[in-house]
Parts: sequence; structure tokens; C-alpha cells
Amino acid sequence: MIKTVDLEKIFVVRDQVVRAVDGITTHITPGEVVVVIGPSGSGKSTYLRCLNGLETLTAGHVHIDGVDLANRKTDMNKVRREVGMVFQQFNLFPHKTVLENLVLAQMKVRKRSRKEAEIKGRALLEKVGIPEKEANYPSQLSGGQQQRVAIARALAMDPKVMLFDEPTSALDPEMVGEVLEVMKQLAREGMTMVVVTHEMGFAREVADRVLFMDYGKLVEEGTPEHFFTEPKEERAKLFLRQVL
Amino acid sequence: MVLLSIVAGLWIATKRIDYTWRWERIPQYFAYHSEDVKTINFDGHVTKIDKKGDLTTVTVKNDIGGETSSFVIDTKTANVSVDEYLMEGDTVGSTREWKAGPLAHGLWVTLWISAVASVIGLVIGVVTGLCRVSQNLTLRQLSITYIEIIRGTPLLVQLFIFYFFLGTVLNIGRLPSGIGALGIFAGAYVAEIIRAGIQSIPKGQMEAARSLGMNVPKAMVYIILPQAFKRTLPPLAGQFISLIKDSSLVSVIAITDLTKSGREVITSTFAVFEIWFVVAFLYLILTFTLSQVVAWVERRLAVSD
Repeated sequence: MIKTVDLEKIFVVRDQVVRAVDGITTHITPGEVVVVIGPSGSGKSTYLRCLNGLETLTAGHVHIDGVDLANRKTDMNKVRREVGMVFQQFNLFPHKTVLENLVLAQMKVRKRSRKEAEIKGRALLEKVGIPEKEANYPSQLSGGQQQRVAIARALAMDPKVMLFDEPTSALDPEMVGEVLEVMKQLAREGMTMVVVTHEMGFAREVADRVLFMDYGKLVEEGTPEHFFTEPKEERAKLFLRQVL
Repeated sequence: MVLLSIVAGLWIATKRIDYTWRWERIPQYFAYHSEDVKTINFDGHVTKIDKKGDLTTVTVKNDIGGETSSFVIDTKTANVSVDEYLMEGDTVGSTREWKAGPLAHGLWVTLWISAVASVIGLVIGVVTGLCRVSQNLTLRQLSITYIEIIRGTPLLVQLFIFYFFLGTVLNIGRLPSGIGALGIFAGAYVAEIIRAGIQSIPKGQMEAARSLGMNVPKAMVYIILPQAFKRTLPPLAGQFISLIKDSSLVSVIAITDLTKSGREVITSTFAVFEIWFVVAFLYLILTFTLSQVVAWVERRLAVSD
């Protein structure tokens, strides 16, 4: 499904070279839920953003369904339709109602009719548990509701993979649960997911595999049982001692 | 209170310089009753007079050719009777109608020149604003050059260049050159406003749109520009109000706008004070109406806040 080979992303900020992602090779299979954890600044988010081409790669390859994102001839827009993304800051479109947020890209990108798109949008709002908010504007919703709309918006495109970039980090604590619940349900339905998060409980419960990153490198990977109980690497042990 | 005392002070001051106010002469320059005298251009006899209320149709038969002509006149002015012999150049009667005076005409010219120039300015501004934030170095440099040149030279000088140089070289009239100069002038300012608006939209909006598979033009049209437009409405309104006022400069290339009409009326009335006050008031009506319309649009767009 997603294959990264020696993925590298280097930022140059005022003559300072930052190796945000430094040679990561992984293979994510269909239906797998992969959770990426690590200390802040370890390059988790950058790694995720490379997976749908929001960051241009410095070196290496990202293959999504066999299409190489590093190839200049690849139509990024075509790839991105198949890869849904949920952001830390929700990034809903503030000038559109909730339903319009879900409908817009379906119509403009997937070329669906308004009727078809609205049926799909309403079904997804039902699924994330806020069908009554379709006529509201994002600013009238709580953070948790906004994030659920954002998930529905990404799902409306019928993606094959969903990427979550710290989806609960900007939420008030009591709203984290409702968003995680939607994500768990998605995982149960067999969606391929890559989740960057600090929610260790979620990782332990839902993940098929945990990737631990530090300084842009993949330090340790394995099943949650293995990772949370007997990590091999010293850095991972230190990190777990601090967060658990 | 303060305003009243200022007005009173001005009134006393004008008393002392012995100026005769003639406000009663102003209305006729907005609209006046014009008399259209109908005369006959052949020799003939009146064959029929058909009175219908205020209007009368007089039919006259040409003595030589035999053909007839009809004239519609006001009944009150009819001064012929049936079988009366009329010679070439005689008056049959006249009609009276309201006609727009120079001030009304000037107001109209100012209004539509400003409107057309605003549309041109907005189009140029949006395109240039987009070029200004584009990744393409050539487009960016071109737009910066345009903005710097236009913002760095006086509008009056641009008008002269447009009218005397471009007007002559490209053989365009004074109206197109005047409107073009105004539009291009406004475009430079609008471009900077639009650029600021686009850059004020959080980066996440573009990323969200792109992550849904939209290409850059679609994301711009559906996501970024609507939000940018909403944010920049107040400065844009200010720019277009400026444009209405700046349009008074086109009077120097002999376009009969409100300002030039005012000057023309003054030459025939010498009512200098009254006319300039009236002209200022008319500009105020235009700009005030525009700011009210924009305020209304702003309230409409505020529903999503």
C-alpha cells in the first residue's frame, strides 16, 4: 500500500540544516493501522506530510499503490484524492457550512453531482455522530466536533489511506475521547491508517504496529505489546519512562 | 455644537465679504424644462387638428407635392386653425420636456466612469495580486514592477501619459484613456490589498484543500480567495471610494465629469461657492452610498464568523 524507501527530508533554515526525516524505510500494508510516536521535533509530522506530498522529498521514494511520489511526472492531485489527511488544527473551511465542507471537494475533484455528494456527506456526518450540525459554520462547533467534521471531510473522498497528524493535540481533554472513538471505529472497519499521536492508550489499543522516531530516524518498530513492554532501544525506553 | 459654531462662523465671514448667495439658480442645472419648437419646412394648408388632452396632432398638407406631415405638440401652444395657410419656417407649436442639466449629466459620467474603472481595477488587481504571490519568479517580478511604477507616479501624470502618449500612439479616445488610467491606477493598489488578504489566510487552508486533491487554481478560487475577499473588503471599499474621488482628475483631459460640469456651470453663473458645495455634496452621496453597500455586504458575509 505505502512503501517508503530511504525517505529523506532536509530543511535549510538560515544556513541551519535540519534533517527532519533521515532515511526511513517502511512498508505499510492495506488495512494496517500504524501509529508513529516520538518526542516533539523527531520528524513524525514531516514524515506523515511526505506521504501525501505536502512536503517535497529531498531524497528517497514514497510509493503509494505503486505510484512513486518522487517521480516528477506523477500527478500529485490524483494521488492526494486517494490519501485522506486530518490535521492538528482541523483546517476546516471557515466560510462554508459543515455540509459544504464535505461536499465541495467531492464535486470539484471527484466530479460528483451535488445530490450525490450531499447524500454521501450526510451519511458521513451521521457516522461521526453530528448529523444535526450540517447547516452550522465551523466556528459554531466545538473542537471535537470540528475534528470529526474534518475526518468526515477526508472520508468523503473515499480515500484508500487516512493520515492523521496529531488529531487530538489541539483539543480540550474532554473532547479527545469522541475523536478517538471515531478513529477506532474506522480502524475496526479495516481502513489503512497512519496516525501520528501522543495518545499512548490509542496506540496500545488500536495499532497493529508502532513506529518510534527520534531525530528523523526510525529508532524502533514493532507490535504495541512488544514496544510498550520490552523495547530494545535505550532511547525508546527513556521516552516511555517519561510519557507513561 | 462645535459644527454649528463653525457654520455660523463661516456664515458671518461670507457676510463680510459681501457675497450674494444664489441657491435658487442651482436646480435648473440638474434638470430643466426645454422647449422644442416645431416649424414647418414647406408651404401648405392645415388639414386637420386632433386634440387629445394635453397633446394635439396637427396635420399639414404640402401645396405642391400633396403629401401630408403630422406634428405632435402641446395643446396649450397650438396657434393654428384648420385651413390656415402656412409658409415655410412658420411655427406650428411646441413641446416641452424635462432634460437633464449639466450637473446631473456630470454626476452620471462620474458614476459610470468610476464603475467601469473599478471593475477594471478589480480584475487587474486580482490577477496581479495572484502573480505577486505566485511561485513563478517572472510573474512575481513583473507584478512588483507594475505596482511600483503605478504607485510611485502621480495619477495626474499617468492621465496625461495615457491621454497624450498612449492616446495618440494607439489612437484611443479620451474616455477610454481616462478610464484605462483610473483602472490601472486602482489595480496596483487593489493588487497589494489582495496579496495581503491571500497571505493572511492560514497555510493550513491551502494544505487542507490540496490534501483533498484540489489543484492550486481550484484551491485559490474556492477556498483562499473567498476568505481573502471577505477579509479585504474594508480596505477594498476604501480604495474604490478613493477611485470615485480620483475620477475628478479626468476633467483635465476634457472629460465632462461632475467636476468639469461644475466648472462649466460656474463660468455661466459665477455662483462659485454654491456650485462647489453642491459638487462636493454629490461626491459625498456617491461615496456614502458605496460605503453603505459595502457595510451591508460585510454584514451578509459575517454569518460564518
